[in-house]
Amino acid sequence: MQRRVCVVGVGLSDGPKTPEMSATMLEAQSFRRALDDAGCEKRDIDGLASAGYGGMHEVMLAEYLGLTPRWMESTSVGGSSFEFHTMHAYRAIQNGDVDTVAIVYGNNQLSASGRTLGTGGGGGGRGGMAMPLPMAYEFPTGLTLVGAYAMAAQRHMHEYGTSPEQLASIAVQTREHATRNPRAMYRDPITVDDVLGSKLVADPLHKLDCCVISDGGCCVILTTEERARDMARKPVYVRGAAGGSTHHSITAMTDMTRTAAATSGPKAFAEAGITPADVDMFAMYDSFTYTVLVVLEDLGFAPKGDGGAFVTDNGGNLRLGGALPTNTDGGGLSCTHPGMRGLFLLCEATRQLRGEAGDSQVAGAEIAVAHGSGGWLSTQGTVVLGTEAA
Amino acid sequence: MARSAEPSAGEPGPGWSETPKWLAPRPTPEDSEYWEGARRGELRIQHCTTCGMYQHYARMLCSHCGAQTLEWVTASGAGTVYSFTVVRQNGVPPFNERVPFVVACVDLDEPGARMIAAMPDCAPADARIDMRVRATFRPATDEYGFVDFAPAG
Repeated sequence: MQRRVCVVGVGLSDGPKTPEMSATMLEAQSFRRALDDAGCEKRDIDGLASAGYGGMHEVMLAEYLGLTPRWMESTSVGGSSFEFHTMHAYRAIQNGDVDTVAIVYGNNQLSASGRTLGTGGGGGGRGGMAMPLPMAYEFPTGLTLVGAYAMAAQRHMHEYGTSPEQLASIAVQTREHATRNPRAMYRDPITVDDVLGSKLVADPLHKLDCCVISDGGCCVILTTEERARDMARKPVYVRGAAGGSTHHSITAMTDMTRTAAATSGPKAFAEAGITPADVDMFAMYDSFTYTVLVVLEDLGFAPKGDGGAFVTDNGGNLRLGGALPTNTDGGGLSCTHPGMRGLFLLCEATRQLRGEAGDSQVAGAEIAVAHGSGGWLSTQGTVVLGTEAA
Repeated sequence: MARSAEPSAGEPGPGWSETPKWLAPRPTPEDSEYWEGARRGELRIQHCTTCGMYQHYARMLCSHCGAQTLEWVTASGAGTVYSFTVVRQNGVPPFNERVPFVVACVDLDEPGARMIAAMPDCAPADARIDMRVRATFRPATDEYGFVDFAPAG
């Protein structure tokens, strides 16, 4: 019989602005905190996953942390990399290749690079590096990262009548969660008018439709159900996971209103033995408001084209008390987004299922979904977590 | 009108004649046909003789059926805007001088071929999904040029 797999430790570094910390220091700090959270030690870790820095980063990180792992993973598919890491670690632990895996990520993007990521003109500042093939055609147009998502949002508005107000509502409800999180970057409540009145960055996306740029690190530790019994926290079970990719550059996204979540979601949900109606809490990669809207539909929380209505119905379905409380830590839109956010989703989902989310606790949460989106809506990874095994 | 900086229809925005070095394509045996064609004023794309579909950009294999049966053809230059955005913030020269400007994703009339392109002749307020567009050519050097799109007719 396959072994059951649990999240047993989560750790967040200091943040959202840590000018005195390097990216690796943020990784190490979150790793230490996750070990303490789990009640285990460095010697218990025999697998390591990380992503985001290119060749052999995870090998360097293992040396820095003093680990000699027998299982390593560095799938690098953008912000959803960590949902893929979780999926791969889950399979590897199930099958006995490894017992206890630490997934680690940290970035000091805000302190190191400032707030220009999304509007840096594609390859701006590439310093003569070769452009990935599709980008040789895209960069000379002046399209930005925000612009790529904006194009997809524009198409959704055209096909389904989705409104800027509906997109803005996602930012407003997410900010409401952030007001309760002392760690969040922005904590003042905002209104739909505030979002629509903020500067248009790339039509139809305004500044407040875009995630923040912060510093921060995160670590998540996974192990077997058997080992979890000896650790400090109530285990949270991995019940299902799946991922997929549909394109690299936004131009190659054949249907900009449908992502690979439309296939990864049903597969992960089937493995977990759940339907969308069973999900108590959603940790969603909110790089932009549109990312949330399109994936809500793709995962089946709303029919295709009804994402906008779903978001605003019932006084706001993403709020605590709504049909699907979403990004209860304030999300990437208001709390933390250090380059990639995928790992922070697993952390927040775990805290909710443990009942440790304080003022933002979803009462009686038993099933949570962490869903990462990477690149330009290119890669999608779905992880279903639960208080009980599947 | 609040946004007096926006160019009116038919007038290219400022700065489109210059191409900074870091954006220069480096034509290879795989794609020089496209870049040289753009300099001559021809939109060169690949046609698959197995499945009949077209593709842009140049590849070794057909991205639709996987066959290695591609031939170069000159596209009509006509297309339809699948989606677009108006870039209003871009911190990198020369784009910081050009904002706001339209970038569109264009489905060519040749099935299966889609391109991303700047639309320097299209005022932001005039851009629409489903609008008909035609390719225009912006020679950059003796070796290559860029393909832009403009409202048709």
